[in-house]
Amino acid sequence: MSSLPCGTRNYSYAEDMAIVRTKTQWALIAAFLVLLFAGPLFLGNFWLNKINLIGITLIAATGLNILVGYCGQLSIGQVGFIAVGAYSSAILTGKLGLPFPVSFICSGLMAGIIGLVFAIPSVRVKGFYLAITSIAAQFIIVWIIQKWTGLTGGTNGLTVPDASIGSLVFNSQKSFFYLIIGVAVICVFLAKNLARTRVGRAFIAIRDNDLAAEVMGVNLFYYKMLAFFIGCFMAGIAGSLLAHWSVSISPDNFSFSESILYVGMIIIGGLGTTLGPILGVVLIRLLQVGVTQSTPWLQSALPGMPNGFATGITPILFGLIMVLFLIFEPRGLAHRWNLFKFSYRLWPFSY
Amino acid sequence: MTELMQYIITGLAVGMVYALIALGFALIWKSTGVANLALGQLVLLCSWFTYGMMQQLHLPIWLAFPAVIVFAVGLGWVIERFALRPLIGQPILSLIAVTLGIGYFMSGLVSFVWPQSIGALPQIFPKNPLHIGGAVISQEYVWAAGISLLVFLLLSLFYKYHRMGIAMRATADDQMAVQACGIPVTKIFSMSWMFACVVAAVGGILISSIGGISNGLLETGLKTFSVVILGGLDSFGGAMIAGPIIGVAKSLGTGYLTPYLWSEFGEVIHYIIIVIVVLVKPFGLFGEKRIERI
Amino acid sequence: MKSKYAVFILVLSLISILALLIGCSSTPVTTGKELKLGAIMPVTGPAAEKGKPGIDALLDVTEYINKELKGAGGYQIKLDWKDSQYNAANVNTIVTDFTNSGVLMFTAMSSFEMTNAMGIANKAGLPGLAIFTSPNLYNPPAHIYGQMPDYGDDWVAFSNYYMQNIWKKSGKPKMALALLNNTTGSSVKDVANARAAAMGIEIVDIVDHSATTIAETDALTRIKAKNPDVIFISSTPQPTSVILKNAKDLGLTPSTVTIGLAHASFTKSLIDLAGKDVVEGVYGVYPTVTWDDTAPGIVKAKEYLMKNHSGDVDNMDYLSVWCTGLVSAEILKNAVNAVGYDVLAKGDANAWKAVEQSGFQKLNYNVAGIQGAVSYTAGDNRLAKSVKMYSIKSGKITSIGDWVTAR
Repeated sequence: MSSLPCGTRNYSYAEDMAIVRTKTQWALIAAFLVLLFAGPLFLGNFWLNKINLIGITLIAATGLNILVGYCGQLSIGQVGFIAVGAYSSAILTGKLGLPFPVSFICSGLMAGIIGLVFAIPSVRVKGFYLAITSIAAQFIIVWIIQKWTGLTGGTNGLTVPDASIGSLVFNSQKSFFYLIIGVAVICVFLAKNLARTRVGRAFIAIRDNDLAAEVMGVNLFYYKMLAFFIGCFMAGIAGSLLAHWSVSISPDNFSFSESILYVGMIIIGGLGTTLGPILGVVLIRLLQVGVTQSTPWLQSALPGMPNGFATGITPILFGLIMVLFLIFEPRGLAHRWNLFKFSYRLWPFSY
Repeated sequence: MTELMQYIITGLAVGMVYALIALGFALIWKSTGVANLALGQLVLLCSWFTYGMMQQLHLPIWLAFPAVIVFAVGLGWVIERFALRPLIGQPILSLIAVTLGIGYFMSGLVSFVWPQSIGALPQIFPKNPLHIGGAVISQEYVWAAGISLLVFLLLSLFYKYHRMGIAMRATADDQMAVQACGIPVTKIFSMSWMFACVVAAVGGILISSIGGISNGLLETGLKTFSVVILGGLDSFGGAMIAGPIIGVAKSLGTGYLTPYLWSEFGEVIHYIIIVIVVLVKPFGLFGEKRIERI
Repeated sequence: MKSKYAVFILVLSLISILALLIGCSSTPVTTGKELKLGAIMPVTGPAAEKGKPGIDALLDVTEYINKELKGAGGYQIKLDWKDSQYNAANVNTIVTDFTNSGVLMFTAMSSFEMTNAMGIANKAGLPGLAIFTSPNLYNPPAHIYGQMPDYGDDWVAFSNYYMQNIWKKSGKPKMALALLNNTTGSSVKDVANARAAAMGIEIVDIVDHSATTIAETDALTRIKAKNPDVIFISSTPQPTSVILKNAKDLGLTPSTVTIGLAHASFTKSLIDLAGKDVVEGVYGVYPTVTWDDTAPGIVKAKEYLMKNHSGDVDNMDYLSVWCTGLVSAEILKNAVNAVGYDVLAKGDANAWKAVEQSGFQKLNYNVAGIQGAVSYTAGDNRLAKSVKMYSIKSGKITSIGDWVTAR
């Protein structure tokens, strides 16, 4: 079932493969981008801050989606690779004094290379074994960061110098907004494009049945390594942005429950789609904002609540949402959105 | 020399406790093929419930212990019925993610009902340490090791000879054949989850009486995965043997390697073992090799 | 069909909850002349055990200062507190908000939160008061000040006390350190390595452990092999209880070896976890007095505790944060008296500079006797200079002697 508006037909390969097909879609995307980049004009610092966090999370989640959603390699250690990217960027700009664009790319490469190291098991095992290996990877990475005090400052953390490209210094939420959203848009576009190239089709083949893919001639080792590299590269650049945006980082920032949250985000949003990570990230981060903001109000308004209410409500809520989505809508919000689009396009004949 | 003895004996005892929790994992994997990543949280929740029974409601131990067992059985039934039964037949990512979600939910539940971050169970075991050779070991560890062995023996016997146990093994092998024989597969899933929760409860009580109840149990749960992987995901015997091996490895690592490497090597050795085992012998020492066909 | 409606309702309810939460969280507009105090508290999340009594204390002490002391320098204190959930990204956001909302100074409960806040705060020039501290907050000294001594200072105080009162033999005592694997431990390690030789102490072994350990017999075996005279433990209550229990099994009891604890684990929960007989005779350092002390400030603290938050009885974190309120009020009072309200009302970089130079740096206050007196010496952002020594007798924390200098 092709998802085209009623009445449009494809008469050439180019039309069939196009990401943006109709003039209406072009107009909508242009309008959305204009609105997005005009955000700082009417949003206050509070919301810009939140959107910056959403942007950083989105880059990492898109990487994770390519790895898990498109290629089917379970990885629950994304936050470990984000940590690698963050610390690489902090050390390269802080201790070695390299300019930001160089450290930005290098932290992505660093995370990608370390991702390759932990990707080697994926050639031998899959499923649960790979998931456990990725959990082990995260803990090992965080432990090394904690112990290598000479390089990383250990548990004291590092202060990260300002990011600057040429004479442009990024030290306000507004400037970071443009940088982060710019990178996020590029990453989402790259991910969308990846799906329709040869590499993307190889990934999907591996996900659906890797033995059959190998029989067909897809080089499993090469493509699995590539998937890990791309996923971890994006985590690395997200980490680099995170380091410069937070100004100070320490190993405690990169916890295992964040990794679980990332997996939850892409599942809730929809695996294997480009829209999925966007929806999942936005939903979860907004929920976090809501819970944090409402805690003072709830605490004072409902004194009869048990002491543990405020502590427990976040994990209870998120865990419940994750489980409910997995039971009732395992294909995530993106699937619901697609169904909505179909029904809207085929109205009044929607089935 | 006494130090070596001390390290080995401590390692063996601590390893047996890990092995007990690993048994809980192997139970579920063997019967249902589901990887239970919420192991640590299960242990945590059952431990806190024990705390609630004994410290908050002040029940005597002969009343509290059965209450905890009943709670664990109920918990297993609820998890299987409401979270796992709707997902029968789904791809493995969904199953793993749902256990992650349940784990997250349970840790929130624990914070909700018992907001304090540390809890202490009253002393269940006698306190005088035993002296073996030149080494000293607290009686708690010895009791914990003994109870682990007992549970292991009971489970093995059950799986080998009891009708239900044989049915569980058959389900692990081929679900459709079992259904064709008329055994309700969903009932088997329920039973295995209930058993696993009971084992987790017992393990939790043992660990908590040694070190108190805190969120550290979650990390202990993650470390147990190294025992599971080394021993083989579906082997009870493997878990019992791999547990002491990893315990001893940790002790020796902490004792001897720490001056050369960074401190606290014992903490990360579990994860390094996982990576090494997965690279070298993915199915573990005693696990059954699964051959995949198209 | 069924699941389609279920998901639709689920998503709709999620969005409405979200809107409700964000909508209801808007704080009402207040009028009147106020001095804004920001606070980052981990009320929910992994550190809620410290954050909840902390916020209780802060609310109570603000009420006390506003009602009975008529505010700071005559102006009411407006508390703008946010729950960080012990999460670094949240701290980041909250501090950024503080720099925009007219807050004059802020305080954070744990050194983790302050470490994450100090990057932005130092860049903007917003002064901060860290309640529980660690050396990285003020090395090099910028705009963050420490209300209570950190764990390195604990070690210095304990070693001072040990050398003067407990060590009776000649020569150098052998000390072993058992440290938690974060700043709680590393601050002790750095200070001990730097100063032990000068104080006449020989450090024979340093072992790290994680917060989730259940058995420390291996590390203690190594320590025992070196025959220490004194062991200093800087950790949180649960690993400390494991260490003390394992040490007792190995024969390292308070009667054969002097055992001292830093203030992170020296609480009632340690006695509950380890058992009374294990902790008998253990020494400890704490930056404040205990609830049954006769210091003048305890009376008021107790009164408000029993009135508003009686569930926090005997909680030491409550007492520490009560002091935070008193110290903050003193700082704001000094600032208002020096530069006047109008400069501060703008809540901008000038106001922060005034608060720092006329408030923080002119402090000389005894905090109603509840904690060590706070004062500022140039180049040293640690405000409190002394701690109290305690030992555990018959399951109770009893004070021994007077304030000990932690320098």
